[in-house]
Amino acid sequence: MPLLAKAQSLLRNLFRSRSVEADLNEEIDSYLELAAEENIRAGMSAKDAQRKVRVELGGAEQVKERIREQRLGAWVYSVFADARYAFRQLRKNPGFTVVAVLTLALGIGCTTAIFSVVYGVLLRPLPYHDPNRILAIFEVTSKGRPSRLADPNFNDFRDQNRSFSTIAKYTQVISSVSGGAHPSRSAVAYISPDFLKVFETQPILGRDFIASDNSKGAAPTVLVSYSYWRQYLGSARDFSQLHLKIDNEIFSVIGVLPPSFSFPADSDLWIPADLTGESQSRTSHNYSAVGRLRDGVTVEQANADISAIAHRIHDSSNEKGDYLLKDGTVIPLQESIIAKARSPLYILLGAVGFLLLVACANVANLLLAQVSSRQRELAIRCALGAARRRIIRQFLTEGLLLSLLGGIFGVLGAFAGVRALVALAPATLPRLDGVSVSLPVLAFSLLLCTAIAAGLGTFAASRATSEDVRDGLAEGGRTQAGSQGTQRIGRVIVVAQVAITLVLIVGAGLFGRSLLKVLQVDPGFRVDKIVTMDVSLPWVDGEKGRTERTAFYSNLLDRLRRIPGMRNVGATSGLPLSGGHPDGMFLLMSQSEVPKDFSKFGELFQQKDRLGIADFCAVTDGYLHSLAIPLVRGRIFDERDGADNTNVAVITESLARERWPNQDPIGATIQFGNMDGDLRLLTVVGIVADTHEYGLDVPPRPTVYVNLLQRPPAAITLTMLSDADTPSVTTAARQVLQELNPELPVRFRTFSNVYSASLGSRKFNVILIGMFGITALLLATVGVFGVMAYSVTRRTREIGVRVALGAATFDVLKMVLGQGMRTVLIGVVIGVAGSLLLTRTVESLLFGVTATDPLTFSGVTLLLVATALLACYIPARRAAKVDPIVALRYE
Amino acid sequence: MNPKQTTILQGTLDMMILKSLVSGELHGLGISRRIEQITGGTFVVKPGSLFPALHRMEEEGWISSFWGDSENNRRAKYYKLCKAGLKQLEIETERWGRITWAISQALQQS
Repeated sequence: MPLLAKAQSLLRNLFRSRSVEADLNEEIDSYLELAAEENIRAGMSAKDAQRKVRVELGGAEQVKERIREQRLGAWVYSVFADARYAFRQLRKNPGFTVVAVLTLALGIGCTTAIFSVVYGVLLRPLPYHDPNRILAIFEVTSKGRPSRLADPNFNDFRDQNRSFSTIAKYTQVISSVSGGAHPSRSAVAYISPDFLKVFETQPILGRDFIASDNSKGAAPTVLVSYSYWRQYLGSARDFSQLHLKIDNEIFSVIGVLPPSFSFPADSDLWIPADLTGESQSRTSHNYSAVGRLRDGVTVEQANADISAIAHRIHDSSNEKGDYLLKDGTVIPLQESIIAKARSPLYILLGAVGFLLLVACANVANLLLAQVSSRQRELAIRCALGAARRRIIRQFLTEGLLLSLLGGIFGVLGAFAGVRALVALAPATLPRLDGVSVSLPVLAFSLLLCTAIAAGLGTFAASRATSEDVRDGLAEGGRTQAGSQGTQRIGRVIVVAQVAITLVLIVGAGLFGRSLLKVLQVDPGFRVDKIVTMDVSLPWVDGEKGRTERTAFYSNLLDRLRRIPGMRNVGATSGLPLSGGHPDGMFLLMSQSEVPKDFSKFGELFQQKDRLGIADFCAVTDGYLHSLAIPLVRGRIFDERDGADNTNVAVITESLARERWPNQDPIGATIQFGNMDGDLRLLTVVGIVADTHEYGLDVPPRPTVYVNLLQRPPAAITLTMLSDADTPSVTTAARQVLQELNPELPVRFRTFSNVYSASLGSRKFNVILIGMFGITALLLATVGVFGVMAYSVTRRTREIGVRVALGAATFDVLKMVLGQGMRTVLIGVVIGVAGSLLLTRTVESLLFGVTATDPLTFSGVTLLLVATALLACYIPARRAAKVDPIVALRYE
Repeated sequence: MNPKQTTILQGTLDMMILKSLVSGELHGLGISRRIEQITGGTFVVKPGSLFPALHRMEEEGWISSFWGDSENNRRAKYYKLCKAGLKQLEIETERWGRITWAISQALQQS
């Protein structure tokens, strides 16, 4: 029964509030009348009687308010009432509302956009079943760095581990693929048969690989990605006639993978790894590896397990040297994918967080002014019986309304912002395709709004309830005294704003200076006017394949050279700034010592005096000419170096310096056949200058250039230096290739695009943090200006008195400026201290400047002080112009 | 205020109101007077505490209200005891009995 009664009254309170209120009013009125009548009967005058009962009641409104507050469902009603009231408040001050909402929208929008990237790239779980149990497995090199796996080592890991339910190896190669709708350059993954089982995924059509598909000499089979199947195979369901030609080999299509599956990233085709047999070398690091943890096994246990196997291999292998593994390690797959992206993204998130704080500080300052102007209204509400907590709740509601409005506009902006971010993001950022304003991101934004609302609301409420109600009711007089506390808080906020802004701009400055320093680095090659063209031929083993490739490349180079306007054409096995070259150990040898096969290499690598380490790259003389890589000594390749003549090599200055200190390397003969399978010795004929192949911010690496026409690789990049415009070069070159072989897919880029892409992540950081910094600076300037202007308005009377007593214009100017700048300087000092602490965390991303770069610090400080001075000057001038007569009449 | 009067003890207001309604329905002022009467003028209930308590108890379902005419033909809101209220009164009476017993025990200790 009581439950029913409760429900009834709840419904009544909620939906018939008007009649409930009327009822209450009538009840109290009737009480007053009855009580008064009683007193009159006792002999009082009517006036006295009424007065007595009112005193007894102690304020009808307060009693009613107490009853209202304890009503069932009162909170629902009062929340609505608060919201309505808050809404009215905001509408009453449209200027304040618009500025506050837009400021919050800016902060929340930027934060949401950056968090979308952070979530999409770093936090979003991989789209596989139980993704935390998929680990990446690595060898550890003698230098302690994780590296890929050699075949026999992978086999030992696979067979001896007790931690993984499945483990698989994979690698990815860009290959020419034909047989579909048209030829393509596609990413082909070479995988061991258990690969899909690690991800607990299966083809949506057809079948998975089985062990026999992977044995040496098995009929070649291929799995295709969903998008490749749609785009190139016309979504055919009958596989019996579906064959693809990958590197001259015919593969039968056996299955289609689900649309969500693309690992390794961007793969279109998956083929068995070992169709041509496995490598026997424990130092050829050809594969990456992944495994799924067995139930109940922890990552640490798996790590110990793999490490123990690696140590056994290390101790028992007869292959010694720097390239043999020293240890083994595992990391969660997600971790291994995002490791490099983490710190730059968290730095961005930190930066945008600072921007948000500065924005909130501005709103807090606006609220502060609002609260003081509402002091009277609040006092009246208190006098009428509003409880303190009710007032606090009122401010929380207003804060929530403000931040939600800001949040809505901010999130709408973030949708556009995320698109811009993805377009701007460097290609090196992984998992960009999944970046969007997703549900978890929206949840984050909502949380953010709530936190901001709580912060701003509590702040406003604490200011509003800090002063005595009676002061609020007292008319005039106290406006100056009472504003002192408010002014002090306003200054504290400005100090915080200036400090945070300074940290942000110092960060932007350091990144900007780093970028400038990087751009000053001479790459060692020319960048402009070069169009590059990627071509890859099917691999054919042995002498015959080599001859064919050389003939094809010479022919291609000849014809390209004849294109009108072409100044120079070259070819390389690896373009600078696009991934680097393979590196390995080479051997100093004489003509008489040439080994017949690789079996002797292990032993030869033990002889330290023969050993050298270098990057390996095949180029033509035209490449060195077109990129203007200068010859230091000796000669570069020419007609003397025919395909069958003595194989020659050109080495870089740094290699000459490191490997042949105080000697002349020209004429030396080296064995580097372990890189391309060609055991003919190389004679060093020249030394060329170093180049920054791995990026402008990475020191050049010692490199051996071999003659591309003597040792032709399967995939080359042509570099065409031409005065003609890019489209016409591209069209002409495409035409040439079509005539030679219409089945070859090709990719064109300009070298300058490759160059700027290599600076992508630096530019991304500079642009974003710079933008955040400038925005924060603007906000902080507005903050300083606001507080000073408010202060001057409040002190008009005081200033008037000063002027009347003889203060000169200059004195007033000095006083106001001095006061403002004192505040700013405190902020600057705190900001510099904070920057010194915080910039250390970004040190690894800097180039050519230290984290405490004095130039950046002093420049930024100067910029901030100058801006603040300007922001203070305007109110100060106004103060200086105060007319004492007007000012004294002011109130 | 009459020196013999005292404000009602914390936690006993509900009990007093329930008790005052046992003999029949009353309006707010009536309840106030009735409590004064049954306590021999010792307890005075101020309207500032009475009305919030009445509304709370009504929502609890202990008492119910209706509009009626007062003795001199004024409209007044009357309260009357419900079953749940009667039960509540028993609980409170029993609890109060225990408290007074315990306190008098404590005070008699020498």
